[in-house]
Amino acid sequence: MDAIRITNLVKRYGLVTAVDDLSLTVASGKMFGFLGPNGSGKSTTIGCLTGLLDPTSGRIEILEKGFDANAASLKRRMGVMPENLGLFEPLRAHEFLAFVGRMYGLDERSVRTRVTELLDALELTDASKILGEFSTGMRKRVAFAAAVIHSPDVLFLDEPFESIDPAGVALMKQWLHRYVQQGRTVFLTSHVLETVERLCQEVAIIAAPGKLVWQGDITTFGREGAIVYDGKEFEALEPLFLHLTGERHVELNWL
Amino acid sequence: MDFQLIGLLVGLRYKLLWAKIRTRNGRIALFMAGYLLLALVGISFALLGATGGMVAVKAGKAERLVQGALTAIFVCATVTSVMLGFGLNQVFSDAELRRFPLNSRERRVARHGAGLADPFWLLFLALYLGIAFGVYLFGTGNLLLGALAALLLFACNYLAAQAIGQAIERLMEKKGGSFVLPVILMAVAFLPSLLAPMLRKNPAALRALVRVLSYTPPFGAGTMMTRANAAALGGLALIAWWGVGLVAALVGLERRPSRIRIAQTGSIRWETPFAHMAAWFGPVYAPLVEHWLLFLFRGKRFRLSYLMSLVLVPFLLLIWSGQGTHGGDPFAGAVGVFAVAGLAPAAAFIVNQFGYLGSAFRRYFLFPLDPAAALRASSYTLIGLCSVYVPLAAVAWVLFAPVSTGVRGMAMLLCSGIFGLFLFHGLGLWTTLFGPRCSDPSKTVGNDLSLLGNIVVVGGMIALLLTPRFVGEFHKGLIRPDQWPVTAVLAALAIAFYLISLRCASALLPRRREWLLAVLEKRA
Repeated sequence: MDAIRITNLVKRYGLVTAVDDLSLTVASGKMFGFLGPNGSGKSTTIGCLTGLLDPTSGRIEILEKGFDANAASLKRRMGVMPENLGLFEPLRAHEFLAFVGRMYGLDERSVRTRVTELLDALELTDASKILGEFSTGMRKRVAFAAAVIHSPDVLFLDEPFESIDPAGVALMKQWLHRYVQQGRTVFLTSHVLETVERLCQEVAIIAAPGKLVWQGDITTFGREGAIVYDGKEFEALEPLFLHLTGERHVELNWL
Repeated sequence: MDFQLIGLLVGLRYKLLWAKIRTRNGRIALFMAGYLLLALVGISFALLGATGGMVAVKAGKAERLVQGALTAIFVCATVTSVMLGFGLNQVFSDAELRRFPLNSRERRVARHGAGLADPFWLLFLALYLGIAFGVYLFGTGNLLLGALAALLLFACNYLAAQAIGQAIERLMEKKGGSFVLPVILMAVAFLPSLLAPMLRKNPAALRALVRVLSYTPPFGAGTMMTRANAAALGGLALIAWWGVGLVAALVGLERRPSRIRIAQTGSIRWETPFAHMAAWFGPVYAPLVEHWLLFLFRGKRFRLSYLMSLVLVPFLLLIWSGQGTHGGDPFAGAVGVFAVAGLAPAAAFIVNQFGYLGSAFRRYFLFPLDPAAALRASSYTLIGLCSVYVPLAAVAWVLFAPVSTGVRGMAMLLCSGIFGLFLFHGLGLWTTLFGPRCSDPSKTVGNDLSLLGNIVVVGGMIALLLTPRFVGEFHKGLIRPDQWPVTAVLAALAIAFYLISLRCASALLPRRREWLLAVLEKRA
């Protein structure tokens, strides 16, 4: 079963094309990495996939159902950690998570149990601080907890690991592995290619303006030692990524 | 001191202002028109200033009249800046300026240099210079001394407004600051009304007050503008001392680090009064209303605005209904005040409901619900909170009413309150969708509304306050308690307008979301 299917997705802002005829498929039970340089259209694509943005044209299917911004029943099965976190800063962590849990239809008992367990696990138990007073890493943890609190079937994570300490990242990875083993799907973006290489089974790489340049199984690196593309052998994701998106060598005399 | 870099930064303030406006389609013309208008007002003010100076000289009491006029302008500029936020917005905070190779002194000079160059303050400088010029034309004053006095008084005025703004910020950081500040404001607001009759009856007290005022910067400047002898030097010394004192006070306040108030409880509390209040709205809206209540009351800006209205509404009622002044129809004045009672407590939030959320706004579109539910919940929350002020105004009217109005009069006043409440909240829905602005809920003072928001808030308040007053003035007896059914009809129309606006805004929100997201996340 396909968890996500994008067909000929186009997103334009006036004359600017942010995503150009993007088509890709993500199978259920996969950890999928969605990569690209800055400004290549990753966040715009996630925006279209989560109902924040209306595609100019193209079709999006999630869990084999047509998805648009009004698809409430599908949104209930999706968890999103946005790039800029989307936190209500004057709220405390437990208030924010309880609010999110209630909005996803959890009953009061589940809300309180899950919030308490998430806060304990992610070491966010200081209820005296509002979210605006949290460090960047702690805010990321809260946003991650908000994305998983309703135990969704598809999880969209935009840059989930940046700014979080190694112990926090290890715990999140552990949860995500278990999550995928249960047949659920993770769609994540990251600029830390080593993490993506270790975590994901499949990767799509896009280049500006939102054009798919490569999609494939990256477990090949582990199994066969290298991926062959354009007649060249790439032993890791980073050189492949740089080859596909254009590595630049610029020297500044004064630097 | 790196004056070249400081000059560049002050110039950057205008470049940023221009760039900000330029990115908004169709706003350029409005911006130009706005500045043209400001320039016209500046010129008029300058002319008024000059004329005022001339009149003062011709009246033969040049020094006293100029001192009085300068005091009035000084107070007006300070209050407008601190309360309404004009000219107080600093483009560069100290933290932002730290990225430049400037030391702390240079950063302070750059910050206040940009502040002084604000069009609002330049308007008052024009006024001060106008008076100095007028006095020189018709009096014995020295032009250079007068201009120097105007410049020094202008600097003192800016410093005083900044110092008071900083003091308010510091007060709001303290526990209970939100409650103490309205009490102080109440005392300051009611003082003139209490003092005026006392001073009229007691000339000796008036002389004592003038003696005290003679040690203030406007009096010093007045002396400098009207005299060209040793007394002028005394005035100069007085303003100079005030300038030094205000700089010291401002630097002292700015150097005090901001204190983050830590909540008393360290453990999770699930049951809050807000949760109980929100439960009245039913299972669909309860979580949304609860989060709005938490969001609003945790912000310094809302707390201050909401609590300050406890002072503002009775004060307006007292002043606008003609108590303590001569003439005017007290009842007509009260009708106007009741009409704005439902806007005053949360004006900035009513016309910019999503503006204080930042990136959290996108959450409403990720949840499995109609995003318009968030708008409706926000509107219900605000209207519920503001509606409290209509009966409060009624209590204040019963306590302070200069005339007896009876049951019909009270019905008319309450209907006027309901009319204003629903009219403004209906208009607020439109400005929320079409004139939002990304704003900071933790800033206590400052005007952070869009042009449309300002038109609705400032224009609406002035229109509703003045209309009944003028109608009552020119058509005596037209606004009478026995005409309460007219206001009842207006109230019903306002409710209908609100409900239609809510329906339309709910339908429009999904279509406006991409643009709103861009504005609220500062991408547009």
